[in-house]
Amino acid sequence: MLRRTSLAVTALVAAAALTLTACSPGSSPAPTATGAPDPDASISVRLVLEPGNLDIRQTSGAALDQILIDNVYQGLVARTADQEIVPSLASDWTVSEDGLTYTFTVQEGVTFHDGQELTPQDVVWSLTQHRDTAEWVDADTLANVSGVAADGQTVTVTLAAPDSQFLWNLSGRAGIVLKEGDAVDYKTAANGTGPFVLENWTQGDSITLARYDGYWGEPAAAAEVAFEYIPDNQAAMNAALAGELDVVTGFDPNLRSQIEANGDFVLVVGESTDKGTLAFNQTSGPLEDKRVRQAIRQAIDHDAIVEAIGGGQTQYGPIPSLDPGYEDLSALAPYDPEAAMALLEEAGAEDLELTLTIPSFYSTTIPQLLVSDLNKVGITLKVDSVDFPTWLQDVYTNKDYDLSFVLHTEARDFENWANPDYYFTYANPEVTELYAQSRAATSDEEADRLLAEAARIVSEDAGADWLYNGASVVAVSTLVQGMPSANVNERLNVSGLSKSDG
Amino acid sequence: MIRYTLTRLALLVLGLVVASVIIFLTLRVLPGDVAQLIAGTNSTPEQVAGIRDQLGLDRPLPAQYAEWIGGVVRGDLGRSLLTGTPVSDELWQKAQVTVPLGVLALVIALLLSAPLGVYSALRRGRAGGTAVGVAAQAFAAVPVVWAGMMLVVVFAVWLAWLPAQGFPRAGWSDPVAAVRSLILPALTIGVVEGAMLLRFIRSATLQAIGQDYVRTAAATGLTRTQALLRHGLPNVGLSVVSVLGLQIAGIVVGAVVIEQLFSLPGIGRMLVADVSARDLPKVQGELLALTAFVLIIGFVVDLVHRAIDPRQREAT
Repeated sequence: MLRRTSLAVTALVAAAALTLTACSPGSSPAPTATGAPDPDASISVRLVLEPGNLDIRQTSGAALDQILIDNVYQGLVARTADQEIVPSLASDWTVSEDGLTYTFTVQEGVTFHDGQELTPQDVVWSLTQHRDTAEWVDADTLANVSGVAADGQTVTVTLAAPDSQFLWNLSGRAGIVLKEGDAVDYKTAANGTGPFVLENWTQGDSITLARYDGYWGEPAAAAEVAFEYIPDNQAAMNAALAGELDVVTGFDPNLRSQIEANGDFVLVVGESTDKGTLAFNQTSGPLEDKRVRQAIRQAIDHDAIVEAIGGGQTQYGPIPSLDPGYEDLSALAPYDPEAAMALLEEAGAEDLELTLTIPSFYSTTIPQLLVSDLNKVGITLKVDSVDFPTWLQDVYTNKDYDLSFVLHTEARDFENWANPDYYFTYANPEVTELYAQSRAATSDEEADRLLAEAARIVSEDAGADWLYNGASVVAVSTLVQGMPSANVNERLNVSGLSKSDG
Repeated sequence: MIRYTLTRLALLVLGLVVASVIIFLTLRVLPGDVAQLIAGTNSTPEQVAGIRDQLGLDRPLPAQYAEWIGGVVRGDLGRSLLTGTPVSDELWQKAQVTVPLGVLALVIALLLSAPLGVYSALRRGRAGGTAVGVAAQAFAAVPVVWAGMMLVVVFAVWLAWLPAQGFPRAGWSDPVAAVRSLILPALTIGVVEGAMLLRFIRSATLQAIGQDYVRTAAATGLTRTQALLRHGLPNVGLSVVSVLGLQIAGIVVGAVVIEQLFSLPGIGRMLVADVSARDLPKVQGELLALTAFVLIIGFVVDLVHRAIDPRQREAT
């Protein structure tokens, strides 16, 4: 589906070029976007959020996954933009019937960017080290690994119990393969096996990747990809219009007409796993009452929110449509202010005053809509906009809040609903148990079914509200091909990105 | 003069010590910490505690202050908690954007304000003088962000003469590209600061016109303009020097906004990023360096002022 969108775009551009040519018979064909990809091209891509440092082992955050995984670092398996698990450093793998033994065949002839060879022992060391170093991101996702061993080009991973998420986790941070005993300063440098070498990082400005000539697989299409960090949407669009950017990720759909009028860019809209989550602190106070939470959900006009932000779709449960276990739960919280008021009355919670704590880098659109929607059912909402470290301390760590809004971008993060200690403060033993069963399932169908069941319960409990499922909106120059369209805020594989010379 | 210089120098050092304590303590009041930011939102309290321990954030405040200030005295501003790079290296890097930006902005401000300020004072009450005065009033009130946006739309997007944002990755090894990328941001600051300076120069000039010595000079046969240019302007220049110190501080503050707007990798943008990442040792070093810069400018302005104004020398 998503593939088809970008194909359709290319086809349209080609068609337009043909029409133009046809209009001017006799003249030689004008140079157009159909020109051949230039192997020496340098492509500049606007990103929003810059990582604090480059240490993929220890520093969390999607900003690092987005640019380093797939491009610089690789694991045994990878995932496509459409969230499918595919071979990477392992050419193939098998899983035993009982789901406890994974056998991988490691590719031969793979080298790190500094020229060292990748050995199966590096794989064993990386996975073991990651499991055993608590400070490394996602170390806990490998807790279940009881043994890793290499024999020739084969690496065998044994689990203590079946884990339906295991391959998925291997395709992320936990599965990255590093060189054993490498002396790289990971905070400012990198040494991976991917199609790109980290060429330059100008802190507060840009990160540049250059094609790695010794790459074991299909070489990168462009010689260089520069990620420019420009937080402001209008500034990013101006830079694009002035010809300084080839791709603008996180494009504000409300600026659509301005960029399209120029004719050098097309807007590509893909799905994402971004979940605009309105968390309810439900351990005490008025939100402990499920009727109050349900009333808030029904007081919010979700369609209006989607319209106001200019993209995405509604979402009525914890799982977005790109993730396994998704089902349409819209019937559980239809927009109905009357019903909301009745619920509030029943709960004896009229004239409620609540505070919404929101990190200051989000636009004011969402809080404004919430204030107005909740006001209509008699809830006074005070908005407290704080910087992110303050949010982390007050809301995330101390759970000192009423309502909080954060865009959760991670794919397959249902686990947080099964964890009563998470800042969502949602605790339902049945959900925790269903999630554990889903993890332990040995077939995908079974795992997905159990997840869907758990997600439905979370939504029925009004464990939170989901204001929208974000879209991945990217403005792409008509000279650029191969830009992934789905979930680019979380992972952005640029190895297929190419640019023609006009 | 020597005694005056020494007293002024002692005050400068005292000012820096006080500033260092204030900077250190106010940053500690900020909620949230870098360990939690590194660990992220899928971390356990144990992971955060482990990172905090690694970074040495658990040590008592007096020990942290003593270590920092001890380093500063030895010329070491400390290291970033996030990247481990020395703060002084980063400052040097970013100063290569911010200092030329500030100098260029100051030059533009002076080139605009000095001739126009004197002109509008001489033409006071006439159409030309009034027009310049009104324009200055308007430009001084324009928000810097809006002015920047307008300049980008006209000169980068429509005319495509200058880049809309960013600084060349090659830095000053490509001087033409580097200067080109600084023109629009410097114009933005320069026009707004220049408008403020213009109003100051205008009133200083008007004051000089009314002085006895200008009138006396005019009585000897010079025209009013000649008298002002020969005898009045050196005095206007003197008062401009003392205002320039303040202007430079204003430009440093303006750089924080302008560097965000134009995506320039300078000190202002670095400071904002480091505060929101709670990289406190780095913020401390940056703020102390900036404070020192502004205090030293003030110190130099005082000395220059005293050296060129005979009246002040006689007074003490």
